[in-house]
Amino acid sequence: MTPPDGQDQETTGAAGETPVTPPSPAPEGAAPAEQPAAKPAAERPARPVKEAEPKEAPRVAPQPGSISELLAKAAPGVEMKAYMVPSVVGESVAVEVGRDDLRAVMTAVHDDASLDLKYLRCLSGIDWQEEGLEVVYHLWSFSKRHALTVKTRVTYADPTVPSISAIYPSADWHERETRDMFGINFDGHPNLVPLLLPDDMTDHFPLRKDNPLQEIEEWQGDNLRDGAGEGEE
Amino acid sequence: MVLDSSLEVIDMPINMGPQHPSTHGVFRMVLVVDGEKVVDVTPHIGYMHRGGEKLMEAMDFRQGIGYADRTEYLAQFSAELGYCLAVERLMEIEVPDRAEYIRVILTEMNRLSSHFMFMGAFGIDSGIFATSFVYAFREREYLQDIFEEVSGDRLMYAYFRVGGLAWEVPDNFVSRVQEVLVKSQQGIRDLDDLLTKNEIFMARCQNVGNFSAERAIAYGVSGPILRASGVNWDLRRDEPYSIYPRFKFQIPVGNYGDVYDRYLVRLEEMRQSISIIEQALQQLPPEGPIVPEKMPRRLRTPPGEVYAKVESPRGEWGVYLVSKGGDKPYRMKMRSPSFCNLSALREMTIGQYLADAVMILGSLDIVLCDVDR
Repeated sequence: MTPPDGQDQETTGAAGETPVTPPSPAPEGAAPAEQPAAKPAAERPARPVKEAEPKEAPRVAPQPGSISELLAKAAPGVEMKAYMVPSVVGESVAVEVGRDDLRAVMTAVHDDASLDLKYLRCLSGIDWQEEGLEVVYHLWSFSKRHALTVKTRVTYADPTVPSISAIYPSADWHERETRDMFGINFDGHPNLVPLLLPDDMTDHFPLRKDNPLQEIEEWQGDNLRDGAGEGEE
Repeated sequence: MVLDSSLEVIDMPINMGPQHPSTHGVFRMVLVVDGEKVVDVTPHIGYMHRGGEKLMEAMDFRQGIGYADRTEYLAQFSAELGYCLAVERLMEIEVPDRAEYIRVILTEMNRLSSHFMFMGAFGIDSGIFATSFVYAFREREYLQDIFEEVSGDRLMYAYFRVGGLAWEVPDNFVSRVQEVLVKSQQGIRDLDDLLTKNEIFMARCQNVGNFSAERAIAYGVSGPILRASGVNWDLRRDEPYSIYPRFKFQIPVGNYGDVYDRYLVRLEEMRQSISIIEQALQQLPPEGPIVPEKMPRRLRTPPGEVYAKVESPRGEWGVYLVSKGGDKPYRMKMRSPSFCNLSALREMTIGQYLADAVMILGSLDIVLCDVDR
């Protein structure tokens, strides 16, 4: 009688990727039991140990003479952290500024002749959970052909950012949308009423991370758990 | 005639939409009129808001492509391309040449089909009624046949993949595209003949909804509307992505920034798209891989952020992708051109005649799914 374990091992060996000699027809009864039980598993080449993924993108300071230096000149006395972020081709400069300096910085980048960033192409909110809420402004200058990303962070306790809709009219709708989705108040906005959400939905912020999309995430957990489909890389 | 001065004179608010044939989707605006002149406009959007950005945070990078289609449902390939570019940039994947050419061919054909849609719908807005619509939709159908042959679907293609394409195009792809291009060229001529010098069309379009370059930039307007306002700007040339530097094409620019210029810019863009497709067909490598050889099955990006943008038929379709590592975006913002262009509607419409409000809205060529996301 063959133990069920032995059967299992044979089938895995035949179907597995390690080239095992085809199981010879069991000679004289005891042969299957002699086979070392863990052999096919031991012969499988060990997966290369993956390096732990970095938790944060490395921050490279911009080259001397970059747009962040122009900004430092145009808005003196403003504390800022500058680093490079990738764009589709090449990289561009991002600066992090304090919330209280934001309006001064945005006025400077809009009005200063050496910066001349008149085009606000995108305004996004991000929920960084413990690290608060962030507003990101993507700016572009048609005359100078350079880009700048401005970021500012606020806490959950006081999610107020000065509105820049007086400087950039395009920020009007973007700010209303960001208020809808993240509950960030834009101080000085002329008409901060819900834009995409219903008028009475002013206390629930769908894009914050404390609103999980439960059903979808659970569904994915079953079907796309870590390691699934990693057979051939 | 004696006017009774004791009568109270008030501005009248008129509601338009959300179910109205001229709003091109579920869009509502409240117009305040003084006689025939528009004094104020309040646009109301959000009827189609489905939380797309939230959904994409829960989808992995492969699934997100399908959602990009559903957002920009008239320029699906542009949306897919923008999304793929963002992920490819974060993962630092090189796309094989053949895949790049097929992507460009399909994206430009998509621009044709989208602009045909505009021509048809805009003809209805301007009172040409169904003639232009039927002309344009016939041509659009030929283009959609090709998309269906390639991707298996008429609207939701989901054909681009991070790194390349889902599968090879059919064997007769090149000859089929050439065949359809001939039809499209005839279609553009037909529409040109029907609309461009049509007296009623000109009277309804010229000097309506003028928008200066300065205001267009301030409002973040992009695409044909920005170019019609006189800004010589096209992402395909000025911030090139994919393989666009390999093609020669002209960028049409308007002089007056009115509704008529927006129409003319789109008409010329269609001719330029055909020229790009012809060049791409000539340069298309007859065979080769359509996905990189070393391609992980499971897409994981390193942590980081990227703002990718493509010139969609409506303007700058941008994706701000923030990743904390792993197989899903941490934040996925879609910068929709329709949204930004529509935000300028109020300023364009104030001071115009009520009947022209429809023309101005039509000339923006919005996709409401893309506005609301």
